[in-house]
Amino acid sequence: MIVVQEADFDAGTLQAALRERCVGTAGALVTFTGYVRDFSSDDATQTLTLEHYPGMCERELEDIARQACERWRVVDYVIVHRVGALPRNAQIVFVAAASAHRGDAFQACEYIMDALKTRAPFWKRETLASGRSFWVEQKESDTDRTRSWDGHPSKEAS
Amino acid sequence: MNGAMNTATDSGSPTIQLLYFARVAELTGCRAETYALPQGIPVTGSDLLAQLARRHPDLAGASRLRLAVNQTHAKPSVVIQAGDEVAVFEPVTGG
Repeated sequence: MIVVQEADFDAGTLQAALRERCVGTAGALVTFTGYVRDFSSDDATQTLTLEHYPGMCERELEDIARQACERWRVVDYVIVHRVGALPRNAQIVFVAAASAHRGDAFQACEYIMDALKTRAPFWKRETLASGRSFWVEQKESDTDRTRSWDGHPSKEAS
Repeated sequence: MNGAMNTATDSGSPTIQLLYFARVAELTGCRAETYALPQGIPVTGSDLLAQLARRHPDLAGASRLRLAVNQTHAKPSVVIQAGDEVAVFEPVTGG
């Protein structure tokens, strides 16, 4: 399931629905939730505004999920990403991967998040409590993480 | 020299649809525009970015420009075709 929406989500409900869809087959379910955090300890974030490229966004997320399913034994997955103006501490993204074994579920979930951060067309604009506002820059560490999956072993016996 | 056969009509040049996102939309002052491709010569992604830098001098304020052609990430060497949807943006920052 892939959803891009302005509305908030209930991570518990998403996880329960995924579990329901994988009854008997998934022995492991790994979830990740991303939240709006403060820009720095001395400059709180007031709003994080997420812009996206409708159409391409869903296509990229589908492609990322397809690659995760090719690399690991994934029974089912969920990707929900919010757009629009999100206040401090709001939920931004939810990713869950269900698999027979934990190794596949952990790695598929992490891979989806890493790929999402460098491929899915979302852009964050940060507005701080001090009034300063700017577009967030992509981090080198994020591109390094995505690159590190190249040649990474997958679908090993777990 | 006769280059790529584009879908030129009698009424004008072959065109592409340009989309701008995030800071790029702020710098160009618009989110979308129709752009006429030069006729008779192939245009790559880098050529297009160079042409857009002249059309929108404020784009110099962008850090690194990326392209997507027909909703797929594209390299600067991609050849732009008439009718393409070409998006220009800075590296993505979702998640």
